[in-house]
Amino acid sequence: MLSTVLELRNVSKRFGNAPAVSDVSFSVRSGQILALLGPSGCGKTTTLRMIAGFVDPDEGTIEIGGRDMRDVRPHERNVGLVFQDYALFPHLSVEQNVAYGLRQRGDARDAIARRVEEMLTLVHLKGFEARRPAGLSGGQQQRVALARAMAITPDVMLLDEPLSALDAKLRQELRFELKQILQAAHCTTLIVTHDQEEAMSLADEIIVMDRGRVLQRGIAAAIYHTPRTRTVAEFIGRTNWFEGKLGQAITPALREFASDEGRFVVAADAAIDNAIVQFCVRPERLRILTGDEPAGEGLNLVQGTLLSAAYLGSEIHHAVKLSSGRTIICIEQNRDQALPAAGAQLRIVFRPSDCILIA
Amino acid sequence: MGKRHQRQRVIDDVAGVTVTGMIVATVLLLLLPLAMTLSMSFDARDYLGPFPPSELSWRWYEKFFADPYLVKGLKTSLQLATLTALIATALGVSAAVALDRLPGRLAELAISLFLSPLIVPGVVIGFALLLFYSRASLDDTFLRLLGGHVLITFPYAVRTVLAALGGIRPSLREVAQTLGASPTRAFWTVTFPLARTGIAAGAIFAFVFSLDDVAVSIFLSGPDRYTLPVALVSMLHANFDLTIAAVAVLIMGASIALMFVLDWVAGLDRVIGADYYKA
Repeated sequence: MLSTVLELRNVSKRFGNAPAVSDVSFSVRSGQILALLGPSGCGKTTTLRMIAGFVDPDEGTIEIGGRDMRDVRPHERNVGLVFQDYALFPHLSVEQNVAYGLRQRGDARDAIARRVEEMLTLVHLKGFEARRPAGLSGGQQQRVALARAMAITPDVMLLDEPLSALDAKLRQELRFELKQILQAAHCTTLIVTHDQEEAMSLADEIIVMDRGRVLQRGIAAAIYHTPRTRTVAEFIGRTNWFEGKLGQAITPALREFASDEGRFVVAADAAIDNAIVQFCVRPERLRILTGDEPAGEGLNLVQGTLLSAAYLGSEIHHAVKLSSGRTIICIEQNRDQALPAAGAQLRIVFRPSDCILIA
Repeated sequence: MGKRHQRQRVIDDVAGVTVTGMIVATVLLLLLPLAMTLSMSFDARDYLGPFPPSELSWRWYEKFFADPYLVKGLKTSLQLATLTALIATALGVSAAVALDRLPGRLAELAISLFLSPLIVPGVVIGFALLLFYSRASLDDTFLRLLGGHVLITFPYAVRTVLAALGGIRPSLREVAQTLGASPTRAFWTVTFPLARTGIAAGAIFAFVFSLDDVAVSIFLSGPDRYTLPVALVSMLHANFDLTIAAVAVLIMGASIALMFVLDWVAGLDRVIGADYYKA
């Protein structure tokens, strides 16, 4: 069992009358990468600023390495912070930026030089020592900020929207690189982000936050497939909702569900909460039947009219209007299938096990 | 094209011509007197003859440098402007740093207070200082002038330094702190080096305004110490000749040169930009 490096217990913070963070508790284990995911204003940035020491919690405790951080000022905590805008010192070279923390600590000159070289090698920026931040690309600046924060061997790395200032293509490339760098240095890391893909690809575990509260914690797959609330389901990935109520059991593992789209069969065991009034299906779990292909045994079937099909290269997104007037999104992989024309009548099937039931 | 669109086009065209005309008129109004002064300063004639000058010469410039009364004024002005710039900037930096750390409301109030000399007419400041100095029995003319000049240039120094500090992202200071720098060390290693150009700009502003002042200086000057502009004004009353034009051109030249220096160290648009209140 790895030791806990960062621990928050019942932390709350209000700004005036508005609660920013309410009763938040979580811990990060040594070497773990944890993402705080939520929309802007959900309290994730305030949480990060409390851990860094720029904001004092009203209630609760924050411990880093088992030490209570109450009354410990930012420069006395050993955290590595990477801001969204990187906050590189514009008047210093890349080398001086990375060396800044080591200088403040009063390390010996040759020890600083060795550590800077080690860090720049880790982030693949050897040869850029003398450059000024303004002469670097966004991706390079980000890696300098990372190297500068990691140089002081912090107890915890705090990354605030680390990739959101980059363009989409670069962001995808750097995700894997960033994760590799953090893992190679065995950094205990907390990432704050509103970008679900960033959270899912970088983090070992995700905490979903909304309105100052922790909604759910888990690995990416668990949050995607078994969201506990509608808010979580809607925040991670896309959803198609069906409302109604649970009916009788068909088998021990299957139940009926009556909705205005008709009767469906959903996967649910005896322990299921009878108060459930809705389920959602992820767009990629819907399948459009071609021609007069029969709907397979045990699958749910809905019919609708195609509003539009968006050809996105690797995927095709279909917007389909159901008889109830509700529009659902159906995503298919591009396998060179014929594109149906707008107005076409479509039959769509999904498995009972793809129905995510939520109270 | 509809009638409505056609009418709109005519209106736009008329508006365009009017705006251009106003800009041209403004530029002419500002520049023509300066151009006249420039040409007059090289006029070889003894009297104010019709434009343009029939002959050019350096005689007024030679006369200026040969006149001990005016040269003494120039010396005083330069000494005064240099000292004023140093003192006003040092005060400005201290004030701006303090403002930067005050909570919003209080900072706004303090800024208004610091900038208040700007809205009091120079004549009023000069007269008030004259009375105040007499009461306080401060008799040294140079010190009297210095006090007045620091007072009127200080707002400019505060404003430029504030603008420079406001342009520094708070995240830079915060990151410095997470890297182990105390707030004070973060100021000296990050904030101050980044605000340096703004501070230099403030000093240049103070220098120029001190060099230029008449209203305050005229009350505080005496027969023993007086600034160049004050000397020019009294010369204007006593014996008018075109030396004044020559001096005006020299001061203009020096101001323009300083503005170029200012643009070079800090960028003029950044210095005169609209971010002063971002404390």
